[in-house]
Amino acid sequence: MNTGLTPLTAPTEARIDEIGSTDILVGIPSYNNADTVGHVVRAVSVGLAKHFPGHRAVLVNSDGGSSDGTPAIVARTAIDFQHLFIGDQQSILHRIVTPYHGIPGKGSAFRTIFEIARRLKAKACAVVDADLRSISPEWIELLLRPILEEGYDYVAPYYLRHKYDGTITNSIAYPLTRALYGQRIRQPIGGEFGFSGALAAHYLNQHVWESEVARFGIDIWMTTEAIASGARVCQSFLGAKIHNPKDPAADLSAMLLQVVGALFAAMERHEGLWSRQEGSQPVPLFGFPYEVGVEPVHVNVERMVSHYRQGLTDLEPIWRQILADDTFTQLRDLQGAYNTGCRITDELWVQVVYDAAIAYHKQVMPREHLLKALTPLYLGRTASFVHATQGLTSTEAEHKIESLCHTFERMKPYLIERWQPPALQDVAPALLHHTSTDAGGDHE
Amino acid sequence: MNDFINQALLGPLELLGHQVLTVLPNVLAMGIILLGGLFTAWAFGFFVERLFRVIGFDHLCDRLGMNAALLRGGVKTDPSRLVGRSIYWMVIVLASIAALGALNLTPINQFAQSLLAYVPHLVTAAVILLAGYFLSNFASQAVLIAAVNAGLPPARLIAACSRWGLQLLAAAMALEQLGIAQHIVVVGFGITWGGIVLAGAIAFGLGSADLAKGFLERRLVARPKSGTGDDLHHL
Repeated sequence: MNTGLTPLTAPTEARIDEIGSTDILVGIPSYNNADTVGHVVRAVSVGLAKHFPGHRAVLVNSDGGSSDGTPAIVARTAIDFQHLFIGDQQSILHRIVTPYHGIPGKGSAFRTIFEIARRLKAKACAVVDADLRSISPEWIELLLRPILEEGYDYVAPYYLRHKYDGTITNSIAYPLTRALYGQRIRQPIGGEFGFSGALAAHYLNQHVWESEVARFGIDIWMTTEAIASGARVCQSFLGAKIHNPKDPAADLSAMLLQVVGALFAAMERHEGLWSRQEGSQPVPLFGFPYEVGVEPVHVNVERMVSHYRQGLTDLEPIWRQILADDTFTQLRDLQGAYNTGCRITDELWVQVVYDAAIAYHKQVMPREHLLKALTPLYLGRTASFVHATQGLTSTEAEHKIESLCHTFERMKPYLIERWQPPALQDVAPALLHHTSTDAGGDHE
Repeated sequence: MNDFINQALLGPLELLGHQVLTVLPNVLAMGIILLGGLFTAWAFGFFVERLFRVIGFDHLCDRLGMNAALLRGGVKTDPSRLVGRSIYWMVIVLASIAALGALNLTPINQFAQSLLAYVPHLVTAAVILLAGYFLSNFASQAVLIAAVNAGLPPARLIAACSRWGLQLLAAAMALEQLGIAQHIVVVGFGITWGGIVLAGAIAFGLGSADLAKGFLERRLVARPKSGTGDDLHHL
């Protein structure tokens, strides 16, 4: 437990003293988002004025040292409420623009937002990315109202995305979170969340701020920590998510390291919880779902396959350490047949992910190496998914993802059997051989 | 006759007796030191071996690839026992030097002192070699993964170069520590690395002029996306 206060700058401290307390806090982490942050600030301001006119509200921009004037844009962005038919704005929206301390990354920016929420005793909080182009004022209502009026502690976003958008979410984060914790949160690393002040304080008290959570790992960590802490969880339909590229400097293996590393670390912390969980439950969805056109995504499958094949050749000794013999043999057998239609099937991919989680847990090699060595495997699986869903609509592709989730749930005993040390395996024989009732059939 | 017996026979015998009596305590001391050293060596070796087993040293070495390397070298003993035996023999050597010193003979004392003065260098060189080995394994694995993820075709060659480069550096440092051909090691190392860098630069400049040009253009000139990649959002 981290009981110390997160350091804030003197002007921020003074501003907090000046404001005193608040009902609502909306946080915007940013780093060089001058192109889009003005739009995000306007959407947040209008959303608060339109949907929560009687509440005291604070907008916090936690910036990572932008050199393009992002904080200045946040501070000076003005809204003409008259032209938006908002006449009864009752309270002033306070703004706090502050740099954050610690490891550069989104997680550290969130930590500062959580700290300010705790100091201001905020009842409900929301965080939205500064690179959003499709955010509307309604997002603010959808993220905050379940907290303020429905008694929920955590609101995850539910977006419409292109079938090839969010591939780490679709192939690892969503299926694994669902199979482990039994909650069907479709976008566990969505980026926009609503949460109660109590949950913000809980986040702040966890000693994770020097780990991958301080970077891209924050999103999956918030979701798993919310579930593990027993918080009431729901989703809100936000429509399409359109945003600028996440971080041009961040490469894929770094993203995998941070997201999958945070997932696997959470598995170690909450072993007692997920090892008892069977099957999964739907999570309540607020908002009005509708179909919307999404931006097309260009995919270079040949390059992905080429990366995968190079991994199979060059990383063989490393993969042999990470993967079970049977898993590696199946992958090797694909090598010759890859161009003639052979794919990484759902079952094989689930084995790969579970083997990697077990290897992470048993520390068979430096964890950073292990996680980065998964990159070619992930690209191979993504290429397989693209092949399998070519010509399918987004709804049909969604069925494929649903099928993958069922496979993750059905094969969970494979994980539990291998996760525990041999001496402890006799303790939970009922779980080890349990087969989920809603198992899927053929999945590729 | 009696004088003859006293001077010619008993005199040398008496002198010998005196000499033996003078040396005997030293010999006894040497024996005691050797026996004490043997016991201490056994106790230290045993204790260190057990301690390393308890703290999971074997598991750590396994993760670092040390066990596999030992097996490749024909050593089937586990690392904890190896450390225990090393401690045992180190104490034996120290006890032997101390025991020789107890004889109080000038040439043996000088030899023991010079041997004792060399021990720290030996230990330092061994530590450098071990650290170099572990570091080279770690670095080459990291380089291999990074090169594969970057899609570089000679990923294994790059990783092997980084491994051997680091091991060569460690060996050069260890030899320098031992005082063996210090100048030759430094000069040889400089020539080897200089040669590799020069050869690499020439090979890259002559053989891959287009690649170098393309690389510099991509680095220095802002160009629109070629369209051969993809715009996948992974998160």
